[in-house]
Amino acid sequence: MAYNDHAATAHDHDAHDHKPHGWRRWVYATNHKDIGTMYLVFAGISFFIGGTMAMLIRLELFKPGMQFLDPQFFNSMTTMHALEMIFGAVMPAWTGLANWMIPMQVGAPDMALPRLNNFSFWILPFAFTLLLATLFVPGGGPAGGWTMYPPLMLQGGAGFPMTIFAIHMMGISSILGAINVVVTIMNLRAPGMTLLRMPLFVWTWLITAYLLIAVMPVLAGAVTMLLTDHFFGTTFFTAAGGGDPVMFQHIFWFFGHPEVYILILPAFGVVSEIIPTFSRKPLFGYEAMVYATASIAFLSFIVWAHHMFTVGMPLAGQLFFMLSTMLIAIPTGVKVFNWTATMYRGSLSFEPPMLFALSFLFLFTIGGLSGLMLAIVPADYQYQDTYFVVAHFHYVLVPGAVFAIMGAVYYWLPKWTGNMYDQTLAKWHFWLSTIFVNVLFFPQHFLGLAGMPRRIPDYAVQFTDWNMVSSIGGFAFGLSQFLFPYIIWKCVHGGVRVGNRAWEGAHGLEWELPSPPPFHSWTEPPSDALIQRGAAH
Amino acid sequence: MAGNGMSTAPDAGQRQRGVRRTALLLGSVAAIFYVGFIVMMIWRATR
Repeated sequence: MAYNDHAATAHDHDAHDHKPHGWRRWVYATNHKDIGTMYLVFAGISFFIGGTMAMLIRLELFKPGMQFLDPQFFNSMTTMHALEMIFGAVMPAWTGLANWMIPMQVGAPDMALPRLNNFSFWILPFAFTLLLATLFVPGGGPAGGWTMYPPLMLQGGAGFPMTIFAIHMMGISSILGAINVVVTIMNLRAPGMTLLRMPLFVWTWLITAYLLIAVMPVLAGAVTMLLTDHFFGTTFFTAAGGGDPVMFQHIFWFFGHPEVYILILPAFGVVSEIIPTFSRKPLFGYEAMVYATASIAFLSFIVWAHHMFTVGMPLAGQLFFMLSTMLIAIPTGVKVFNWTATMYRGSLSFEPPMLFALSFLFLFTIGGLSGLMLAIVPADYQYQDTYFVVAHFHYVLVPGAVFAIMGAVYYWLPKWTGNMYDQTLAKWHFWLSTIFVNVLFFPQHFLGLAGMPRRIPDYAVQFTDWNMVSSIGGFAFGLSQFLFPYIIWKCVHGGVRVGNRAWEGAHGLEWELPSPPPFHSWTEPPSDALIQRGAAH
Repeated sequence: MAGNGMSTAPDAGQRQRGVRRTALLLGSVAAIFYVGFIVMMIWRATR
């Protein structure tokens, strides 16, 4: 307990850089940088576990017929891959980046609630151990898809209640993390760091945190109803007892659609940091970006039923959800326009973070456009539950959210470690990822349009060619990801030393700190002059 | 701040009160949402 004992008497200024050692540093961690690192490492491990599941899926789908996996296990893999990637990889990666960067960017010494921060993190390994353990109990892991629709989900074995409990733990972790982010931003900003001087990453996270607090309890309610339907004789979603399985879909997607924005809004923030840096220009339309983010968050609450057009709903409902969904294209278009305008006549250079941001810009937009196609009710009747949907959301989440996370790591890694990483290798990582992510997911548009259903281990022979291409892309994409931890590991252990401002065009308070930053940064609030220099947007 | 005693800002006490107030407010909202949904559901199921 050396660290906590120290923390309790930490009025001694000299002791601020005391760093606990050994396992205590991590188990009792209350330092935002340590907790951020743990979140990022956890996300990386989950990314490779979820990725292995994806490889198994692509292996089975390499050719028609049943090859390697039992159908039940295949369905478990699609379900677990999604849960692992959404709740285990992307969300913790954003929380890790928030932990590392928000205090440094707003001029705060730490997160506002450090012990709660520790608790939020340490819930996660238990939740995911429980989730993964479902694969080893009678009945296997959850196999009803990450959407957990009844009645299919209710047919699960011993893994079913374990999954529900794991989801509760993930939800509680997310809510506590979100509370910490809001409290930090609202209370610990340095004097002079007004809301409209905050970096876009902080803004997008603030809005994301509110979304989390609003919708995670809805998921908790939905899965608890599943639990009581299964074990306590209720019939919320059982038609035989007067319940309605469609009600679950409404409740789930009331959580699920804002969840999509929880995954992507911080990506908008990161890209809004990277593009100005490597364009050597202030962000075009800073305030418009803030309002666009808030608009997207608001709209995310009124579009949920576009995920369920085919269940049957009144025409007025279909029209409302179609039009409200299309409205999202406006603030999203504002963002894409502003990023492009930021680059216009800029002095561009193409270091790895910028490459990932540019790839994000093009490929996320492809995902957005296929989303617009899915929003059209009559067209959605054709696309629903096909590989077109799979292609759409993977374009949004992989070259969207995941590339933004990678771009963020490449952007801030020199700040975290004080070393520049191997940029040549990072560019290899970028090009391999960008080429093969398209080989992997673009053919899935064709498969979907041709009618191949999602979540099946076998398919008709006419889908063979594009499935082979997609699988080859998948294996190559998967293998190329091993470069990422290697580049990070190499950077942590050495490299060319960087100064405070690792990138010449970078602005923001984090770049005023030494690289690597001290264990406790901004123990004295930054001056107004520093804040103004940082807020050059 | 809260618990790590690192603040050297002149209005540290005020900030700490702000932290506590915001944390309690958001925590209560989240708890009411979280527990509320489940209680509402149990109540509905027993009627």
